[in-house]
Amino acid sequence: MSVELSVNLGGLVMKNPVTVASGTFGSGREYAELWSASPSCPGPLNALGAITTKGVSFEPWAGNPGIRITETASGMLNSIGLQNGGVEYFCSNDLVWLASQNVPVIVNVSGHSGEEYTKVIQRLEREEAVAAYEVNISCPNVASGGMSFGTDAAAAAEVTKLCRQATKRPLLVKLTPNVTDITEIARAVEAAGADAISLINTVAGMAIDAQKRTKVFDRGVAGLSGPAVKPVALYAVYRVYQAVDIPLLGIGGIRSACDAVEFFLAGATAVAVGTANFSDPLRALRLAEELSAWCASEGIQDIKELRGALKDG
Amino acid sequence: MHECTATVVSSEARCSGLLYELVLSAPPLAAQVKPGQFVHLALLQAEHILRRPLSVYQANKDAGTLTLLFQVMGEGTRHLTELTSAQQLQVLGPIGQGWNPPETAKRALLIGGGVGAAPLYLLAGELNDRGVLTEVILGAATADLLACEASFVTLLTAGQVHITTDDGSRGYKGFTTEVAAQLLAENRYDYVATCGPEPMQRIVAAMTAESGALCEVSLERRMACGIGACLSCVVDTVNGKKRACVDGPVFDAREVCW
Repeated sequence: MSVELSVNLGGLVMKNPVTVASGTFGSGREYAELWSASPSCPGPLNALGAITTKGVSFEPWAGNPGIRITETASGMLNSIGLQNGGVEYFCSNDLVWLASQNVPVIVNVSGHSGEEYTKVIQRLEREEAVAAYEVNISCPNVASGGMSFGTDAAAAAEVTKLCRQATKRPLLVKLTPNVTDITEIARAVEAAGADAISLINTVAGMAIDAQKRTKVFDRGVAGLSGPAVKPVALYAVYRVYQAVDIPLLGIGGIRSACDAVEFFLAGATAVAVGTANFSDPLRALRLAEELSAWCASEGIQDIKELRGALKDG
Repeated sequence: MHECTATVVSSEARCSGLLYELVLSAPPLAAQVKPGQFVHLALLQAEHILRRPLSVYQANKDAGTLTLLFQVMGEGTRHLTELTSAQQLQVLGPIGQGWNPPETAKRALLIGGGVGAAPLYLLAGELNDRGVLTEVILGAATADLLACEASFVTLLTAGQVHITTDDGSRGYKGFTTEVAAQLLAENRYDYVATCGPEPMQRIVAAMTAESGALCEVSLERRMACGIGACLSCVVDTVNGKKRACVDGPVFDAREVCW
């Protein structure tokens, strides 16, 4: 039985509902090179429904000093700080390569101010290879911008509105779980013109070195991801699905077809593999195939049948 | 670089259990590994979601095996010590830019601190095979932590192995850098390579810069992906931030902002 896997994520047509979480996959080039060298690899980069790039800012960002990651129980904390070469560098390097990969490209957009987000999008509007934008208003690892926009409904709406004015392409807005009521932020960005919502970004956390009696990360705070946050992400998707009418991209601890199906049942239209790319570099690429097999074995003909299809009891 | 399934051949405690020697059967990796490269091991316990990068100590192309020497640093490496023969694990490798001694090198000095001796072993073998007069300084806190001394002594056909211990229980009492200073003053080296604690590498780099020899260092960073995508393992260099995994782990010492 062939299973229909295609989905429409706020205007972005994906041949299967699998992408990657921004920042866990670079621009895909390192993974593609590894895959092409692996005899057991199921296919090239276009086995994904879309690729989501690392965050791109207008100017180059150096990222954070000091230790940048640490493992936690079934998770990890990161404090990378959105290191990237800036939008010009991205266009002339990553995007040139991505354009030849035959996979829709979602560019994750970062900024310290509404104006910076807009300037990144304006520059990317000149590039045919860009299929959609994911606006990051939820990173806990930058001092200004990032999460500060995503924790306030009015600020989230303002950034979304500015980005909306800059493009007609599908516009995803990525939200943080570090808020009292994520549905309030979700409704605000929907009203401001977002086509879809990505959730969740990392959960704010910290690590302490008991021996040295110091903070592990220079900034204190870092972002928790991996299987440890899956229940948090699932609940966020479940709640937001009931609060808005636009589609959701589920992110948080997804490794298996079963994990992905749980997110579809909670209301996600598509899912992103994040931290699992680090433990298994072939994980994202294999997920679509595994989803197809899961659906076939459960008698599901179209993946969309699962969306929000939680049963009572 | 390959992702492959490796089989544990043996896993043995060394140095009173502070270091472990893990032998893996991984023929494609053993065939390809170059001195100074590392492998990225997936642990068997589900709670460890990140791999562990371990440098390659020895490689046997004929037997298809890699020998890894590692220090127990935390829960992950402690779990690695529990591996038993015939167990299988996923290994990514060989990864990174290894040592790059000049073709014209005539005399080399290799300085390994603690478990940092391991990634110098294949380099010493290559230099030795090329007829480069190779001297090695191995240092450790105490005599029973000198895990690699015997194998280096057996390997080198010409050069000498100098030993230092912090407590004087074997060899020179003091640090590797003190013996290195003496050797650099007495002899003319055209290549210096060092691996071990970063302060030691920094001092070696500074001393070597004065002598004019090329100095390469091997830097250790926490790592997530191991393939250059996540930017966890960055090193500050005069050419901006570089990734220890794929741009390193070996760097020209002049490039590193210490």
